[in-house]
Amino acid sequence: MLELRLVQGSLLKKVLESIKDLVNDANFDCSATGFSLQAMDSSHVALVALLLRSEGFEHYRCDRNISMGMNLGNMAKMLKCAGNDDIITIKADDGSDTVTFMFESPTQDKIADFEMKLMDIDSEHLGIPEAEYHAIVRMPSAEFGRICKDLSSIGDTVVISVTKEGVKFSTRGDIGTANIVCRQNTTVDKPEEATVIEMNEPVSLTFALRYLNSFTKASPLSNTVTISLSSELPVVVEYKIAEMGYVRYYLAPKIEEDEEETKP
Amino acid sequence: MAGNPSAFYWREENFRDSLSSLRDLTRPRSDPFSDNPIMADIETLGIVDEIQALVSDKLQVVSYKWLSRNFLVSSNSAKRLLQEFVEKHGNGLEVVYSLSGWLKDSPSTYHIRLVSSANLAEAKKKFSDNCSVQVYSVQSCIPKDPVALWNAEFVQAEELLRQPPSVDNCLLDNRFCGISNPFIKRNGGGTIPSTTTVPQVKSEALGLRNSNSTVQVKAEQKKVHLPSPSAGVPSSHVVDAKSKLVADKHKVSELLPAKKAVQSDKSSKNGGALANMWGRVPTKPKVDNVSTATSDATPNPVGDEAQICTPEGEDRISDDDDQQVNIRRTSNGEGNRKRRVIFDFSDEEDEFKDAVNLASPDPPKQKSILGSKQTPSAPELEKREVKKVKEAGSKSHGQETSSKNSHEQETSSKKSHEQERKPSPTSKPKSSKVHSPEIISEHASLKNATVKDEVINAAPISPKRRKIVKTRIDERGREVTEVVWEGEETETMADDSTTKKADNNAVNITGDRPPIAKKSPALGSTAPTNQAGKAGNKKAGTKDPKQGNILSFFKKA
Repeated sequence: MLELRLVQGSLLKKVLESIKDLVNDANFDCSATGFSLQAMDSSHVALVALLLRSEGFEHYRCDRNISMGMNLGNMAKMLKCAGNDDIITIKADDGSDTVTFMFESPTQDKIADFEMKLMDIDSEHLGIPEAEYHAIVRMPSAEFGRICKDLSSIGDTVVISVTKEGVKFSTRGDIGTANIVCRQNTTVDKPEEATVIEMNEPVSLTFALRYLNSFTKASPLSNTVTISLSSELPVVVEYKIAEMGYVRYYLAPKIEEDEEETKP
Repeated sequence: MAGNPSAFYWREENFRDSLSSLRDLTRPRSDPFSDNPIMADIETLGIVDEIQALVSDKLQVVSYKWLSRNFLVSSNSAKRLLQEFVEKHGNGLEVVYSLSGWLKDSPSTYHIRLVSSANLAEAKKKFSDNCSVQVYSVQSCIPKDPVALWNAEFVQAEELLRQPPSVDNCLLDNRFCGISNPFIKRNGGGTIPSTTTVPQVKSEALGLRNSNSTVQVKAEQKKVHLPSPSAGVPSSHVVDAKSKLVADKHKVSELLPAKKAVQSDKSSKNGGALANMWGRVPTKPKVDNVSTATSDATPNPVGDEAQICTPEGEDRISDDDDQQVNIRRTSNGEGNRKRRVIFDFSDEEDEFKDAVNLASPDPPKQKSILGSKQTPSAPELEKREVKKVKEAGSKSHGQETSSKNSHEQETSSKKSHEQERKPSPTSKPKSSKVHSPEIISEHASLKNATVKDEVINAAPISPKRRKIVKTRIDERGREVTEVVWEGEETETMADDSTTKKADNNAVNITGDRPPIAKKSPALGSTAPTNQAGKAGNKKAGTKDPKQGNILSFFKKA
């Protein structure tokens, strides 16, 4: 028996919007600690990890660990039927092949039940080691989204380089090149508008903008985004979900241009 | 009555009974049993024996309705037959009677009730004095589930209604209906195409002729795959000239549900079914695939449409449609005929991913396969052409090419838009003969799909998204022609330039010519055309070799 009651239903809506473009089908894993998801995109280049801790729910009951395979597109369709102020309750019975989403309006005068079929999904669960990153950039999520969007109109890939001066996003395309530098800036009125760079050593990595652009779909979840870079590791783009958890995206870098060029 | 399990009310029964009694009153039908007692006795004997066998050996429920349809007797005669049967051989068998009459209860209502023989006396009491008692059915035992009483005749009715209209069938022509009017033709609930054999003599003759010619033509198509238009056209003209009646009937049949029309690919059935499809084109484009851009491949879509609308400049509503199709192809195929390999990597249809489609559109003059001037015999050229393609394929896309045939068939059978970008090899009666058997078989299996294509073709072209053929050099230096979805931004160049481009490239693939450099500014110099289709090309086999894999960083838990 599973019953999760989330007062801030819009949160779940946003979560779905943030991952459904990247992943078609995924297993939601429910345990006593929380509601989580890990899935790779179909080309195995990016990975998304979602965690909603049990403390964030008004009511959280999960008798035993359960994994529910869902088509995220269909789930998003159903969640779109929920109002932004609605309270969403996720319910599933043991051994059942369906999950029920219940939407209650804030005034309790409208209650909607949506039952969705579950599916069997073979998915490999990857172990993601805790790692020290060479550079960690925290910046406004809207800013990051804007940069990725702008650059993708010029080129397909972005080189993210972190130096002492700041973080530089650069791209190159048929029509020309573009460079955007964001300096460290902590002297702002609101802390969420700050750009903070923690750097142990300079790092420069190339990524496909296509994926970064789908990561930025999570911007509504959080005002800030944390980008962790290390030269041998996938970049981590993390959007924190207030008091509940996070959505983290991992993206494998592209192999450096010059390495390519040294080949015959 | 509620407590009596063997009693059922049956409204339909009510209706039918009154109908059948009406029928016998009103129509002096040539019923052997009522008109000719001697005949009746002879035939009855046979039927009674048969009932005996059915009931005791096959354990079937023999109801008067079943009997009536099976032996083509009126239902009243069937009831009488059953009565006779029960009197002679009734011992050991269960009989269900249908009681009909006015109930004693007030307000008095007319009821028809089925009761078993055991309950007959009791049930009779509930009716007022004059209730009619008729045998409803005879069976070896009363079935637990009352549905079983009705099942046999239901199955029978289904079968009868499903029969092609040309077959003599008592349900379809409703011959036992008591109400007859020379001006009204009956057909079973509107499901019969125009060519039903209706008792009305005048139209029957015409209708039959029409259906015959149709069937004949279709049969030809089945075998040879390509009916010579000349074989079909005159017959249809004859029909046309004969009478407007036929045309009218076709109009009626156009109202049939489109589903029916599509499904009925059995040649005997769909005399006018294809006409229905044509008639529906503007209102209901086939939705198998999103209606796609056809303009890039078919040289002149507008022209095609016009041809469909006015085949041979004559108004031939009642014509068999395959002729129209062929006429269209004939005129269409003259222009430029070419062979082209199309790899469809578009994300929208995963199941056709990697499918190779060997199209044979029109080649330029020097390559003409089927042109009249060519010096080598057509089959030779054809073979050579195929070989070339195969070579080219095996060099670069060996895998795909090896499974080409099967792919071809499945792709083409399902996928319509690919088809439409190649004028089919069957465009000319002549040409069909020289084509390699695989292609012919492909197309033979695909006649219907092709027809569908044309429906799409004629449908309005979606302005926003379209499929275009894109060519690029992939990372291994192969030239890849892809069919991809394009947004509005490429629309301007989609029509002419793309066609040309695609054609050129197709020639390249088949002819091993050096690739033409820099065809499209839209194609990135190094990067594949990922941007066009969002996450579209992810799976499309255009994987960037430089892109790392997340699995190389994280291990499975």
